[in-house]
Amino acid sequence: MVGSDQPLLRMLVGMVLLVAICGTGLATDSPGELPITEADRDYWAFHPIESPVVPAVEDPGWCRTPIDFFVLARLEQAGLEPVEAAGREALLRRVTFDLTGLPPTPAERAAFLEDDSDEAWETVVERLLASPAYGERWAQHWLDLVRFAETDGFEHDKVRPQAWRYRDWVIEALNADVPYDEFIAWQLAGDLLAPDDPQAQIATGFLLCGPDMPDINLKQERRHNFLNDMTANVGEVLMGLQFGCARCHDHKADPISQFDFYRLRAFFEPIDLFTDHPLPGMVKDDKAVRARVVRNGKGQSDSFLWIRGDFRRKGPRVQPAFPRVVNPGETEVAIDSGAADRRLALVDWLTDQGNPLTARVIVNRVWQHHFGTGLSPTPSDFGLMGIEPSHSELLDWLARDLMEHGWSLKRLHRQIVMSSVYRLASHPTGDSGPDATWNRLVEADPDNELLGRSPRRRLEAEAIRDAMLAASGRLNLKRGGPGVRPPLPPEVVVTLLKNQWPVTKDAAEHNRRSIYLFVRRNLRFPFLEVFDKPDTNLSCSVRSETTIAPQALHLLNSEFSLECARQLAARLESIGGSEQERIEQCWQLVLGRQPDAAELAAAAAFLDAGEGDDAWTDLCLAMFNLNEFVYLD
Amino acid sequence: MAPRASHFAPRAKQVIYLFMHGGPSHVDLFDPKPDLVRYAGQPLPDSFGQVMTRRKVAANPLLPPVRPFRPRGESGIEISDFLPHTAGCADELCVIRSCHGDSVNHPQSVYQMNTGTVLMGKPSLGSWVSYGLGTENRNLPAFVVMPDPGGGVKGGPPAWGNGFLPATFQGTTVRPGENPILHLRPQEGLSGDRQRRILDFAGQRNRDHLAVRGFDSELSARIDAYELAFRMQSAAPDLVDLSGETQETLELYGVGERATNEFGTRCLLARRMIERGVRFVQLYSGDTVGWDAHSDVAKNHGRYCKATDRPVAGLLKDLRRRGLLDETLVIWGGEFGRMPMSEQGKGRDHNPWGYTVWMAGGGVKGGMTYGSTDAVGLRAAGDKVHIHDLHATILHLLGLDHESLTYFHNGRDERLTDVAGHVVTDILA
Repeated sequence: MVGSDQPLLRMLVGMVLLVAICGTGLATDSPGELPITEADRDYWAFHPIESPVVPAVEDPGWCRTPIDFFVLARLEQAGLEPVEAAGREALLRRVTFDLTGLPPTPAERAAFLEDDSDEAWETVVERLLASPAYGERWAQHWLDLVRFAETDGFEHDKVRPQAWRYRDWVIEALNADVPYDEFIAWQLAGDLLAPDDPQAQIATGFLLCGPDMPDINLKQERRHNFLNDMTANVGEVLMGLQFGCARCHDHKADPISQFDFYRLRAFFEPIDLFTDHPLPGMVKDDKAVRARVVRNGKGQSDSFLWIRGDFRRKGPRVQPAFPRVVNPGETEVAIDSGAADRRLALVDWLTDQGNPLTARVIVNRVWQHHFGTGLSPTPSDFGLMGIEPSHSELLDWLARDLMEHGWSLKRLHRQIVMSSVYRLASHPTGDSGPDATWNRLVEADPDNELLGRSPRRRLEAEAIRDAMLAASGRLNLKRGGPGVRPPLPPEVVVTLLKNQWPVTKDAAEHNRRSIYLFVRRNLRFPFLEVFDKPDTNLSCSVRSETTIAPQALHLLNSEFSLECARQLAARLESIGGSEQERIEQCWQLVLGRQPDAAELAAAAAFLDAGEGDDAWTDLCLAMFNLNEFVYLD
Repeated sequence: MAPRASHFAPRAKQVIYLFMHGGPSHVDLFDPKPDLVRYAGQPLPDSFGQVMTRRKVAANPLLPPVRPFRPRGESGIEISDFLPHTAGCADELCVIRSCHGDSVNHPQSVYQMNTGTVLMGKPSLGSWVSYGLGTENRNLPAFVVMPDPGGGVKGGPPAWGNGFLPATFQGTTVRPGENPILHLRPQEGLSGDRQRRILDFAGQRNRDHLAVRGFDSELSARIDAYELAFRMQSAAPDLVDLSGETQETLELYGVGERATNEFGTRCLLARRMIERGVRFVQLYSGDTVGWDAHSDVAKNHGRYCKATDRPVAGLLKDLRRRGLLDETLVIWGGEFGRMPMSEQGKGRDHNPWGYTVWMAGGGVKGGMTYGSTDAVGLRAAGDKVHIHDLHATILHLLGLDHESLTYFHNGRDERLTDVAGHVVTDILA
């Protein structure tokens, strides 16, 4: 597995020593470029990451992890207290979906409920983090950012036959807890770091994920657009800055000039973009496996600013350099040895512990996917148009902690899900309805910025589909491999060109986790699209969460829903036992909890009034249509 | 998505956009060029300079219009014999002969005409309009797309995508016939009482679930969405049920005749949607190849004009007599036009540098032409109208200021018209 050899990486990056510190030169302001002022740098995201002291609180007994001290301190300052913890069933469902994108099984539920040891929660968390489903869940968050798809887009939307290898690489890297600095390094420069390791080449798929227009008349237009998109994507994904805004003109709000944009692009200028390269050591049918991976080309390292972003209007020559606003020493990159090692310099700068952005950005993203909203709610825009973190000291503390503990993302997850904050209830739990604590919180902090309660969240498209398959017992947990194409309704197929959706022959494959579904840029898989799976042409850091009638039509009327309902009904029947036991099992499989007496009675009445097997199918179909099913408490 | 107030008084309340996919030839349909007849067979004079083309046709001989043009109606607008029925409505048309875009390629141009940019993934015009104005009919989508049943658009469904706007605003595909909206119909045997029982059971659980989460508007919105879905199940089949239309109306659209039945049916559906308050209806004519007449304009356009001419004219007449045309903006055009030079003898290559789009109804002057191309129809020359200008004008007619219709995305107030666009005020009625 790549990334298991961190010392090697450090050594390589150390050896190349590309970065020359000097006070003069090319990276300083160019003609027509406004200088960076101290005022520009005096902004939270550009300040060095602090090492804040964990604050004192009045009620330390409530706190389990440092996160709790930071959050409770703010609540106490506001004269508020957090609500009580969520019930165990709700918590298990929450953490299982959060970490693996799947519902807890009845056996997992039983094991947790029966475990009254102090370590019960930790046991669950460790089990989930060790599950391969963890990487399958969290890779999707990353793929949203990098615009992952398995086709080019535009007219022919041609298939990239090896693109799935990058998706698998991300999954495996997350499962192996590859340190985040290395995770970045492999993706930006795997070809330079380990030229003989096929996985290192595949990782560079990160840079090549975006849409491409191979049929465009002008090759220089194709290359120009692709490089600009790549640069913009690196800026927004890794630095949390909207670099793309500066491709045509200086950023309107942030101290990022058009020169800064094209200096960043200069790091990638040497890449030979549109050639498939053999993956070292990988052979299939006696032929080398060729894939779209990054290699430096020959003699194309000259870089320019392009006036108004127009590929026909070449401006002044530029040299690779880091964005000036986060590069106070005016560090520039020595390029006299040619183009070969520019990307290593970029890796080194990004993963330097002094970089104010990298760790903050990823910590915020991880937080976002646990709480629905980041500490800064604009995870790909830490610039002036973005929103400042609600708990900036906590963000810094976590960023520092990440870097000081080998950039381990799994450690970060533990910090978060082990906290008391994470385990709060999302709604009033008492029998008598909302109590005074609850009412005070909601009134004083309607947007829940202070995190005195847990947010209610809708499941993502993939989790809804996977959970339906899991509940019905059909989920195929096979890992990795080429994207799968389940049948599509004919009226959707006709919107494609001929033969763009050859259905995968093995029907068992159709029931695999959603991350393994083939991603066609010109057609989002309808079930996923309707639940807000984003367009793969734009980097998506926060998915929309819409509530629209076609979602109801899909869950009520689609063949997929009915098949899941039928299979779930059959599964319940095969369990045997009394009607009540089967109803209980149904609730556990779909909602992860035991039904109450009223629900038992309602379900029994529903079954009584229906006809035979159909009645059970109908009940199961109704269950998949519940708000409680698609929302997490 | 309730109706939303426009920025100022609108001239049109709704739009029917007839998209001729593949690129109809302006020089053979709406833009007569005597010089093209005069210099037929000769190469483009050097004075035109270098021409970027898709298929290296710049040095090919000029091809005269393949059908004659004649003045039509009281306005005397010249329209070719390809379109006799549309020609009969000449006095309703505002023919913009100076449109231009930025790419010689299909998908880029399809995207640009729909989203303002040649790149993929930005919100389409229909999405922006739904975002700006909402819908008048809560039982149907605000933005409906009726693709050509023959096959996909070059560039695919992103042409009517919502881009970074919420999914609520994306184009919903509606088809004529039994199953107009995806998953509209319950699975076999699950309709009627059985579905109602399921909905009632789920509804009761949802209300109980909401009771302890009473502060949560999203949960109640989802309960409403189920009721809307239930109503759509009857509203949409009613929409596509043409049994209440008179024989005379059906004939007006060419419904029932082999050549025109398919497109005529969709044009008639467009009117029925407009009547029911759908905000933006887009129809595509042309399968994957469509109007892309590379090898033989006469043959290709002969076929597509025959299929669409009468239905389009029928739509205009029907809207007029029902008093709907004044509040409905009808737009006709492709992703670009075609070159004055020939390709493979009788065909023409793509031409984004100058071409025709016409509009009718809702707030535009009828019986006029606006702008011009150069002597042979190669490039927009007088009163040029870039796609951004076209978009700005369409939004203006709907009462929306294209500079104020913004959506905050990734640190920027995004617009349909990016940083460009001027309203073409001369064509406003």
